Amino acid sequence: LDHGYALHTAAKECLSSAVSTDVQAPAERPGAVFYTSESDPANHTDHHEGRHYSIPLEEVKAVFPHGLPYRFQQQIKTFNEACLMVRKPALELFTCLKSSNFAHPAVRYVIYGEKGTGKTMTLCHVVHFCARQGWLVLHIPDAHLWVKNCKELMQSSYNKERLDQPLQASVWLKNFKTSNEHFLKEIKTRRKYVWGKRESTEMGRPLGEVVEQGLARVRNASDAVGVVLKELKEQCQLGSFRLLVAVDGVNALWGRTTLKKEDKSPVSPEELTLVYNLRKMMMNDWNGGAIVATLSQTGSLFTPSCAYLPQQLLGKDGFNALDPFVPIPVPNYSPREFESCYRYYLDRKWLQHEKARTEDGKEELRFLSGSNPRLLERLAAPL
Amino acid sequence: TLRLIYTTTAVQRKNVGASGPEKYTEAFIKKQIEEFNLGKRHLANMMGEDPETFTQEDIDRAIAYLFPSGLFDKQARPMMKHPSEIFPEQRKIQWGEDGRPFHFLFYTGKQSYYSLMHETYEKLLTVQKYQDQLTDQDLPAQKEKRNLAGSRWLTKIELEEMLLEKLSDNDYSRCIQLLQKLMTSPCGDIEEKYIRKFTKEVPAQLQKVVIEPLKYDERGVAFSTSEGTRKTARATAVVYDNGTGKVTVNGIDILHYFPVLQDREQLLFPFQFLDRVGKHDMVCTVSGGGRSAQAGAIRLASAKALRSFVTEKEVEFMRQAGLLTVDPRVKERKKPGQEGARRKFTWKKR
Repeated sequence: LDHGYALHTAAKECLSSAVSTDVQAPAERPGAVFYTSESDPANHTDHHEGRHYSIPLEEVKAVFPHGLPYRFQQQIKTFNEACLMVRKPALELFTCLKSSNFAHPAVRYVIYGEKGTGKTMTLCHVVHFCARQGWLVLHIPDAHLWVKNCKELMQSSYNKERLDQPLQASVWLKNFKTSNEHFLKEIKTRRKYVWGKRESTEMGRPLGEVVEQGLARVRNASDAVGVVLKELKEQCQLGSFRLLVAVDGVNALWGRTTLKKEDKSPVSPEELTLVYNLRKMMMNDWNGGAIVATLSQTGSLFTPSCAYLPQQLLGKDGFNALDPFVPIPVPNYSPREFESCYRYYLDRKWLQHEKARTEDGKEELRFLSGSNPRLLERLAAPL
Repeated sequence: TLRLIYTTTAVQRKNVGASGPEKYTEAFIKKQIEEFNLGKRHLANMMGEDPETFTQEDIDRAIAYLFPSGLFDKQARPMMKHPSEIFPEQRKIQWGEDGRPFHFLFYTGKQSYYSLMHETYEKLLTVQKYQDQLTDQDLPAQKEKRNLAGSRWLTKIELEEMLLEKLSDNDYSRCIQLLQKLMTSPCGDIEEKYIRKFTKEVPAQLQKVVIEPLKYDERGVAFSTSEGTRKTARATAVVYDNGTGKVTVNGIDILHYFPVLQDREQLLFPFQFLDRVGKHDMVCTVSGGGRSAQAGAIRLASAKALRSFVTEKEVEFMRQAGLLTVDPRVKERKKPGQEGARRKFTWKKR
């Protein structure tokens, strides 16, 4: 079988142990050593490190309406399946989350690393895990989208100094609805919220109504988001559900914006309602859940492209606000992970060039991409 | 009617064809040689050296010191050489006072060429006679193959210089054919000395270059250093053995220093050519030039460094692949009257 062929010099030691102990012969693809049929992230252990597991497509639509990177979405469409690699940072996070004490204030985890090493994918892995576990997932796909390229800025009705972003807020509310349908029916509001002259939400109504209100009346969408966040924060402490706050590109909350007010003066992040409410969420003054954040240089504004450490990207304010946190570095592919990714592409017949199938081709890919996941994916695309 | 008032001498000299190169008399050449020797002694006195042991190299160095020149063409710079090197050889007058030529083949027009052919054919006949003698005596024909690889025939220009006559292509090819026939025939070894006058040594390119041996550092790992240049970039590379394929440039990883794929491909090329992609580590320093020039410089430096790790045959392959040659292309100078090196100003009709 391919088992003998797969015993490559670089991965010999790791593989031999894995092959002997791992009894799962993957049902879907015979002879592919780098797959696991274990599709529940909760059961992923160090055993499965370096292997791909697939998520059924309906789950993808339900759990990740807006979270996955664009290129990965294209890959899902091409291969007709979503396959994620199990890597060490994600496994570390799982152990931390499983063993976390929910009576203590929420622990903050910050995933950082160089460009293209897989931080967003790690975040999505964690989100999938929590969704399977039954947590309520508050997933903000990219905080950078809220601080740049905003077409409509309105003055907030709730607070005169702040500015609203109806479009982004409504988009986010829609996605939030698809991902957490059943929770929205269960959670009830604690207070009465008045939206305008005629609209208001009474106490004790399901949170879904607030979301509907935000979607229907786009003017109040940002305020609806604020209400949702506040409610969730308060109710999580009661312990009826667990809350995971997953933010991608958290350095956007404390950086600068490219937006300008009508008198051409720059807008600072605190003046945006969405950002203000999200910052309150990131404080660790609540318990019963966890906060996982990713730093991203790719969408960030006014930061040098070689910056990737938390201090450089968050700035002093952000660092002080997030302090203390658990840093989780995400490195480039290890040799074994590189092998696994390469085998996956070969298996899905993504690498069509004849030379790509040889040993030399693999070494060339390894050298040229420097084992960086994004570069490898970009290199393999035209082949 | 027009009256001729004033004309220059240049106009009066109409329809006079350009004469050939100036003819130097023997007395003129002798005087030049005396002046050269005198000048050599003066120069030696000026430089404070011994006039007796003043060689041509010393002269060249002294002239370069006294008259520094930034011209690119070496032939255009001031030089002081023996007159025989400066004034081209010319044929002396070939006929005596009574008008009778000295050489019997003078009236063929190319006397030295035909005399050469004549001599060569004589030698060929003697060789054939000798061979017949040997076969009569039933002795085996000696066949000692000389080394043909390291020599080549004289080119047409060189032969013209030797004979001081113009040749046509046909003549040249006939001459070479005759010499080849003489050489390849058995017992041609007798005339070896004669044939050697018409051959030149071609040293194989490789013998000039010295491959350095490997050095070992404290950990016991073999490494080798070398330099490379391209345009204005200078690079030094240290290639270590037993590595993982990690490359560091000026202390920065190549993924960050060369974000463009093309530059990384250039770095990959020497290793890929020798099938040693993941086996060596490299640490380089580079300065000057632009992105592409630095990549090219590092490529050359790494190829030169890899020579010490590799067999001679592979070194020859590398040389033929062009990995070891310095790229001579530099930015061309901008000329006055043009906008750039080649681009002319926009042409306006009026």
